[in-house]
Parts: sequence; structure tokens; C-alpha cells
Amino acid sequence: MKKTMLGVTAFAAAGAIALAGCSSTGEGSTDTTPTAAGSEPAAAPAAEDITLWLAGTDTPDALIEYLKTEYAEVNGGALTVEQIGWGDLISSLTTALPDSENTPDVVEVGNTQAATFTTVGAFMDLTDHYEELGGDSLLQGFVEAGSIGDSVYALPYYFGSRAVFYRKDIYDAAGVSVPTTLAEYTEANKTMLDEGVGGAYLAGRDWRSGISWIFANGGDIAEYDGSEWHAALDSPEAIAGMEQWQELFTTANVAKATDDDTTTYSAINDEFLPGTPASSTMAPSWATWTLGDFDEESEAYVWNPETFGVYALPGVDGGVAPVFAGGSNIGISAATQHPDGAMALMEIIFADEYQQMLAENGMGPANLDFADAYIGAGSFEGVNEIAYEAAANAKLTPAAAGWASIEEAGIMEDYFQAVAEGGDVASLAVEANAKIDQLING
Amino acid sequence: MTTTMTAPASSPARVEQPPRRRRRGQKLPYILLIPAIVTLLIGLGYPVTWQILNSFKEYGLKQQFGQPAEFVGFDNYIALFTDAVFWQIALRSVAFMAATAAVTMVIGIAFALLMKVIPTWSRIVLQVAMLLAWAMPIVAQMTVANWLIDDRNGVLNYVLSLIPGVDYIGHDWLRDPLSFFGVALVIITWASVPFVAFSVYAGLTQVSEEVLEAGQLDGASPFQMLRLIIMPIIRPVLVILILLQLIWDLRVFAQIQLLQDFGAAGERYDLLGTYIYGLGIGQGQFGAAAAAAMVVMILTLAVSWGYVRRLLKEDEES
Amino acid sequence: MKRTVFRGAGAALALVLALVWAFPVYWMVNSSFLTPATISKLEPTWVPFGGNLSNYRAVLADNAFTSALGMSLVVTAICLVLCLVYALLASFAIGRFRFKGRKSFVLAIIVVQMLPAEAMFIAQYKMLAGANLLNSVIGVSVIYLAMVVPFTTWMLRGFVAGIPVDLEEAAMIDGCTRMGAFRRVTFPLLAPGLVASGVFAFLQVWNEFALASIILTESQKATLPLWLRDFAQSSNLGVTEWGEVMAGSVLVAIPVIVFFMIVQGRMAQGLVGGAVKG
Repeated sequence: MKKTMLGVTAFAAAGAIALAGCSSTGEGSTDTTPTAAGSEPAAAPAAEDITLWLAGTDTPDALIEYLKTEYAEVNGGALTVEQIGWGDLISSLTTALPDSENTPDVVEVGNTQAATFTTVGAFMDLTDHYEELGGDSLLQGFVEAGSIGDSVYALPYYFGSRAVFYRKDIYDAAGVSVPTTLAEYTEANKTMLDEGVGGAYLAGRDWRSGISWIFANGGDIAEYDGSEWHAALDSPEAIAGMEQWQELFTTANVAKATDDDTTTYSAINDEFLPGTPASSTMAPSWATWTLGDFDEESEAYVWNPETFGVYALPGVDGGVAPVFAGGSNIGISAATQHPDGAMALMEIIFADEYQQMLAENGMGPANLDFADAYIGAGSFEGVNEIAYEAAANAKLTPAAAGWASIEEAGIMEDYFQAVAEGGDVASLAVEANAKIDQLING
Repeated sequence: MTTTMTAPASSPARVEQPPRRRRRGQKLPYILLIPAIVTLLIGLGYPVTWQILNSFKEYGLKQQFGQPAEFVGFDNYIALFTDAVFWQIALRSVAFMAATAAVTMVIGIAFALLMKVIPTWSRIVLQVAMLLAWAMPIVAQMTVANWLIDDRNGVLNYVLSLIPGVDYIGHDWLRDPLSFFGVALVIITWASVPFVAFSVYAGLTQVSEEVLEAGQLDGASPFQMLRLIIMPIIRPVLVILILLQLIWDLRVFAQIQLLQDFGAAGERYDLLGTYIYGLGIGQGQFGAAAAAAMVVMILTLAVSWGYVRRLLKEDEES
Repeated sequence: MKRTVFRGAGAALALVLALVWAFPVYWMVNSSFLTPATISKLEPTWVPFGGNLSNYRAVLADNAFTSALGMSLVVTAICLVLCLVYALLASFAIGRFRFKGRKSFVLAIIVVQMLPAEAMFIAQYKMLAGANLLNSVIGVSVIYLAMVVPFTTWMLRGFVAGIPVDLEEAAMIDGCTRMGAFRRVTFPLLAPGLVASGVFAFLQVWNEFALASIILTESQKATLPLWLRDFAQSSNLGVTEWGEVMAGSVLVAIPVIVFFMIVQGRMAQGLVGGAVKG
């Protein structure tokens, strides 16, 4: 069926093909809208059927349909989109990306996996197209994750950020206000817990939230010395951060050391937890979809601004603590047989229209020029604004070749759990450091 | 390698044995083997060769993406043998295998004995229940198990919490590694008992009533009858069943992998199967994973060698 | 008198055990009829009164399930038929004949089963990619076949050894051809054995998902276990729709239960015949 369409649209899109031809030379104009018909149609490549792999089901169906239609118009070929589950992503990428016969042409990878696949040479060099696809307007932390030196291989696709979601009613009942420093956050939760009305929900194994305490204190997971990565969890700053987190965990928290991040999406809903309720939970910005009052009719949780609120995790001396940025990168497979088609798709993705669509659907757009649309799109009182604010100084995991292995081995989860269980932070940090050092350089 | 053509094949205990054809130069058996051998060569020939070769190479993600893989001799094996984590997981796997196989066998045999003594209608009820358990696809088994033990809404925690003074609501069974493997053991046992029970029961039906009655008249206690009369008759079944349980439980992968997907992940929850998978597919250390797979195969062979030898011997005698 | 009491107690125990063994299956079916509102209550609902089929409707809404069912049925059927034929031939060779290399072959089919499959996925991917068989029924069948033939051969060997050659020869004297003798005499005797070993091949192929997740990357080529796993794990941001997931599990289990019901009588016979012969 796709094949029959191909012939028809190929002709109609002759003008647009020229653009793909142009851009493949690397001299393309910065105008990324696919209307540059009339520019030399000379060595126009034929319509190409290409494949795009998206991670999980994060990209809404409407956006996928848009990509398919738009690609058919621009290139004339058919775009096949496969949604690869997050759990299968690494194995699928590992096997398919090097294989020119079966590689997807364009792939989305998790931002923490981007560095690994970039370093091993899985992606095509996009440096020549970098300006045209958005240049410095793109979220820089993610660009770095997909770069080696000055060469850019994988670009940001979308970002999410983390925020503290809280229960206004519980805060009011305990007479505490929104904290403005990290120490106050512990203090406020301790007050609530002592009164038995609520406590923070910080899952013991949810290191992606907990890492903010290290970041806020000036620490980091690992540092690059110019040739190699070295774990830095034993730095005084990192240890100070973890001790602060441990204090919060043991004195002001209702989650267990063995809990993971799945519950953080619902922890503050009514009657969700047995025992003392959670008065706040730290979760990715898209948790707004699962937080709120249960609506019998739609059988879903509906955000209630009367009792639910959101704020950015405060820093050590006020301000905003750096959070871990979630999201993903996107790049062209180095083994692709359709670089022109793949490039055409990248241009569609990074064109204004698609970035606008991402933003309106609540996914942090790769191109920060569209941040306003993202902030405005938040249907839940300023969640996206806070997410954007946090994303501005959000941090990523080390852009090291071995990072994917560290995640696979669950080293960070184990470290945070051990600290949550009350262990000695300094010695646990040394232990975790050794494990990370073993894997981080690939 | 050895040929058994000259060995006498008849054993006095088994009168119903068919006479063997042992004409020299027979081509037929080789022709009959062709489809099976070709299947194995196609399906496993390349992968196994690849695995053996790469267990001696440095083969990681970089090599997967085109860089040449260099021979490193026994480096992968040495790294594996000197890695405390590997030994921990190997020991854990053997312990898990032993526990699971033992529990499965004991319950399976007990079920079979029970089926032998109870009225037919109740036996059929039990058989239907076991058949249902046996028929559950693994992914469905694990999904249902995960729902039963769900920390918040799971029926297990609810029922346990009905006991006065016990509050298990919110208890996560997959967090503590020991509890994690306990859950795995229960599920695997639940699913493999039916096969063991049916097979042993099938074996028991071969025990004639007269022999049992004669034993009873001679004043043998039930335990003596079990040990002296029943066990020897069903011994061949038991040998095979134990061997199968050992092999299956040592290389268990799907159940552990799915349990990890549902909850805990990390090396503390690994057995050899998931460890190899994580090393290769997860971390991209394919050379090391290949070496680990070879070691596991040898380990399995070593653990089960006694049974394999007995099987081969019985095969030769029959 | 004592015997009756004993049997009565045994029957009671058997019923309790049957309940325990069937409970997970019952719970799966029960939950599959419940609405999210009912199912998310802290107190479990023991009987699905007031339940409905909405979970099934939701599961069947996209045709991912039907395509996965088709894929699984085709792959399993191909593997089952070929596996039984190949294994039967091989089991005749080792069950009826003594020949040079026989012991090696027997040892090989045992050892092959001890080889962990997890490290070979990459090589199997490369192999199928090279032959252009990724995302194809043939590709996945080739590998599954190699996975099930050894055990099936091993199991069938016992049945073959248990069939008296005399009967076959008598039939041949009565004017049957070799094939005719096989069809009329040997095959009926073998049927329970084929069923019993077929059950194992069926289950192994039906259950496999790890390799499938690597060589079947196109969503419309997914097999049932892959589909169910993805369905169960694509939970909406940490909130699993247990009702729908259980409905999916029921749907995945039904074909196996149907298969078991069809072969059930023969299977019992088969286990008797095969197991005792070792």
C-alpha cells in the first residue's frame, strides 16, 4: 500500500526533493521550511522509504502522523515509524544500528544513552547541518551528550524536567510554607512528619531525583580529565549532598529505601499510600497526568489546583537546585543507506512547526526558541514554566561511553538505596566510585 | 566416539526390549539423522562458532560498530574468573537451582503419591488445576504473579494483612534479593510441579497392585514400601526429571528477566542467565558474555554430569 | 474403615491443593472483568459481579493483539510440525539402531540444551540479517527449531524404543510396504509420545520472547509473549491498568489451554509410555 502511494507522490514532490538534495551537500540554507521549490532540481535523489525508531510511546500519535504526511510530501517516500519499548531499546539499537541492511535511518535514544552510542560511532556526523537545524538555540546539555569535541552527532529531541509536586492542604494543615532552601525542605517535611500529617516521598532507589542534592551542593557523578572519566561521588561536595539527602530520608520521609521511581508518579494522590500520606513527591514534569483527584467518570486522576501545587526544588542557598534532565536525543544512523531521506526527516523534526507541536504537547522542545509555547502549554498552573526554569540549569549524566553499562548494572540505584538505609556515606561513596570507574570509560 | 555395536544390548530386567538391528554399514540411521543435524547446524552452527571465537576476542560495542576485534587469548575468561561478582552469581544460581529443583521434585512426587491414593473425582479436580497452571504461558504467569504480589493492590498483601498484628500493605516482595528469589522459586515451582507430578504419577501406574499388596502382607511400613518397592520402579523417571529440573533451573532466564522488568534490577537480583544477557545485550561486552556463556555450559555439565552419565549408561543398556 | 477416612482426608487435601494451584489462574480471569475503579480499591474484589468486558474491548481495540496471535500461531505451527518430523526421524535412528557416532549424537543433544542462549542473540541476529530473514516467520522458526529439536528427539527416543519391531515386521509380512507398516502399526503406537513431546516443543516456542524481541523489531511482527510483555510494561507512567493487563494475559493463555484440552487425553498416555522407558 505504501508502495503504490510512492509513485504518485514522488512526482508531486519533485520540488521538495530538491531541498533534500541541497541539504545533503551541507550547503543548505537556514530556511528549513520545505517550500524551497525551484532551487536547482538537478541531481535530485529518488524518493526514499525510510524508518524512524522512536523510544517508547512518548511521542503522541498526532505528531507521528504529522511526520509521516510531511515526509511523504517533502521526499515522496514513505516513512515507517516503529516505537521500540524503552526496555528493548538498547538491545535493538546494538543489533540494528551497525547493520546497514536493517538499520533504522533516524533513531531516538534516551539522553543518557546518547553518549554511549555517539562514542562508538553509531551516528552520522551532523556538524555541517547543526546551524540549519537550530544551532545554539538547541538545548546545549543535550547537544553535548551527542557530541565528540566540536563534532555533533545526535541532537536533542525533547526534554523533561523535575519538580516538587505537593499537597497544599497538608502544607496548610501543618502550617508550613513552600521552602526556599534545600535545608528548609528537610525542615518543612520534618515538621509535617512529626505532626503525623505527611512527609516527603523520596524513593530510596530513585537516584534521578536524589542526584539533585549532589548537584545542589556542587558535586557531580563523574568528571572528565581530558582523556578519561573519573567517578566523583567521593568529593566533599557530593558527600555533603548525600548526607543532606540521607538526613531528609531518615527524618522527614515516608517512602522506603527500597522504593523506586514508579510510585513517585502517584504518591501524593488521596489514599495512595498506607499510613502517613506523602505531602510532596519529586517527579518528572509529565507526572501531572497521573496526579490529582480520582475522577470516577473518566477513571483517571484529574489535577486539582485547589489542593495540588508544584514548585521547583530549592537550592542550598535559595534559588533553584539543578535537577536531572530527562528526555532524549535523535540522530541519523551512520549505517543508513538513505542519508538524504533521513536528513529530510531531521529537517522536518527541527522545523518550527514540529517544534511548536512538541511544545504544545507538553514535551520540552529541543529548540528553546519555542520555550514560550511550552510554558504556555502547561495546563497545570505553571508546571512547564517550572520545568523550563529547572531545565535551564539541568544536568545530564556523564557523556561517557560506559554510562549505559552503569545504568544497566543499577549501580546508582544501589548506592542511593544503601545511603537511604542509613549507611556511612563516605565509605559507600568510595565503593560506588570504584564500581563506576570500572565501567565508565567503556 | 565409542561404538556400542559389540555390546550386548539385552538386559534381563526388560524382557519387552526390541531386538536391535546392528547390521554393519547401515546407512539408514545416518539418513534419518540428516534433518535434525541440518536443523542444528543452521540454527546453532554459526551462533555457537561465533560465540566460541568471540569468547577469545575483545568484542565490545566499538567492535560491534565496526572496529576490528582483536584476539586476546584467555583474557575474557581470566577477567571472569577473577571477578567476585561472577562467582557470587554463579553460587547464587547453583543454590537457586538446587532449592528450586529439590522443592519441585518433593512436591511433585508428593502430589503423584497423593493422586494414587485419592478417589478418582478428586484426582481429576487436582489434575485439571495443575493442567491450568502448566498451560499458563511464562509471560502471563509472571504478569499475573506480579499482580498477585503488587505492593498496593495485590491480593497476597491484603490476605496477609488480615492476620491480626500484621501489616503487609505496601510491602514490596521484589526488593529484598532473598525475597525476590523466593518469589521466583514459588512461581517456577508452581509452574513445574504439574509436569513432575504427571510424570511420576504415570510412573506409579506401572507399580502393580499385587506387588504392593504382597508388600503389605509382609508387614512393610508405608515408608519401606515407598523406598523399597516404589522408588526402584520409578527411578528411571526420577533420574530424567531431576536432570531436566537441574538444566532448566540453572539456565532459568525468562522468569528472572521478567521479574526484574517488573521491579528490581541490578546484579543483586541476577542469576547466570540474566547476568550473561546484561553483560552482552545490556552492557555491550559481547566477548565477556560469550566467555561467561561457555563457562556456564561447562558448569551445567559439571553439576549434572552424574545424571548425564547414568542416562547415557542406561541408554546404552536399553 | 480406616482406609475410607484416609482417602477422604486425601481427597480434601487434593481439593485444597487444587484451589491453591488454580488460584492464580482464577485471579487472572476475575481481574480481567473488573473496572479500573474497582480494581484500584485496597480491598480485593473476589468475584467479578458487576464486571464487564471493557478490558477485553480495550485490549482488542488496536489490532496488535490479533497480528501477534497470527504470528505466534504460524511460527508455533511450523516449528511444531517440522520439529516432530525431524525429531521422530532422529529418534528412530538412535532408538532403533546402533551405529558409529550414536553416542556422540546423544551426548550432543543433551549438551546443546545446556548452552545458555542469551549470549548467542547477537550472532543469531547477524546470521538472520545476513540472510535477510529478520522480521520473518522463517528466520525466527529456523532458530526456534534448533532450540526444540534436541529435547524432542531425546523424549521421543524412549517411545520409539518401546515399540516392538516385531509388530512392524509382521505387518510387512502381511503385505504392507515399509511406509504402510509404519503408518498403520507404528504411528498409532507413537501418537501419545508425539503428543507428549509436542507439548514441550509447543510451550517452548510459544513462550520465547527474549530472542524475539531482538530479531522481530517491527511491531506488526511481534509474537504474543512480546506483545503481552510490552503491553504490561507500557503502563501509563507507573500506573498499571491491571484489568487490561489481566485481560491480555487471559487472551495469551487461551490458545495454550485450548491446545492442552485437545491433546490432554493422549498426553497422559504419552507420559506413561515415555517416562517409564526413560
